[in-house]
Amino acid sequence: MLVVRRREGESLVIGEDIEVVILEAGPNRVKLGIMAPREVLVFRKELELTREQNRAAATADVLGLSGNLQLRHAAPETPHV
Amino acid sequence: MPECQTRYFAVMEYSDDGVIRLPRGLPGFEDEGEFVLIDQPSHRPLVFFQSLRTPHLCFLALPVLSIDRSYRLAVSADDLALLELNTVRQPGIGQEVMCLSFIAAGDDRALSANLLSPVVINLKTRVAVQAIQNGCHYSHRHPLLVEEPEMDEAEPVCS
Repeated sequence: MLVVRRREGESLVIGEDIEVVILEAGPNRVKLGIMAPREVLVFRKELELTREQNRAAATADVLGLSGNLQLRHAAPETPHV
Repeated sequence: MPECQTRYFAVMEYSDDGVIRLPRGLPGFEDEGEFVLIDQPSHRPLVFFQSLRTPHLCFLALPVLSIDRSYRLAVSADDLALLELNTVRQPGIGQEVMCLSFIAAGDDRALSANLLSPVVINLKTRVAVQAIQNGCHYSHRHPLLVEEPEMDEAEPVCS
């Protein structure tokens, strides 16, 4: 992994037409600005993880594997919808 | 009563009041906007999150509090607005919202629950969103414990 130190207002260029600007750097989070061509998808990693996990949840035989599921805590009553 | 074809329970009746609407669908399943919850006593606390549009699409889910009793929601203001909830504080699980975690199986067949992005359902309106938690430490693959079947012979112990 390439590691680069940058300050607020500085930026990075990736390839020919992607630029990432450090807009704000706080103690716990940074605010980034991303300039990229419209066809380049930019999204948070968590969204991709959620998408992958949803696909895994939809396809696997979860029910077959869940027979011996032990829950650490007694489940609260399932609310009815 | 309308009926739907389900993945696990053949044809079932459901009530219109019980339909859960996801205006944004689910990540990876963006066109799936309507689900019903199937709660079968023999499978509790598991619940079945069945698509109305696609019969073979049914997620197994657990209430997040059954996985982690101290689970804290961190729903973004955007998602709270979509849920038509107060955007300045987190909703109460079990009071204003139901909060479910989808169960997945990995290649090693180990089960895990997605605590990073639970499905949050407004109990009053039945509008729901899969809410990626803001700046939290919850895992998208929180391991669930499965009791191993008893072995007849003790396995060799590695030293």
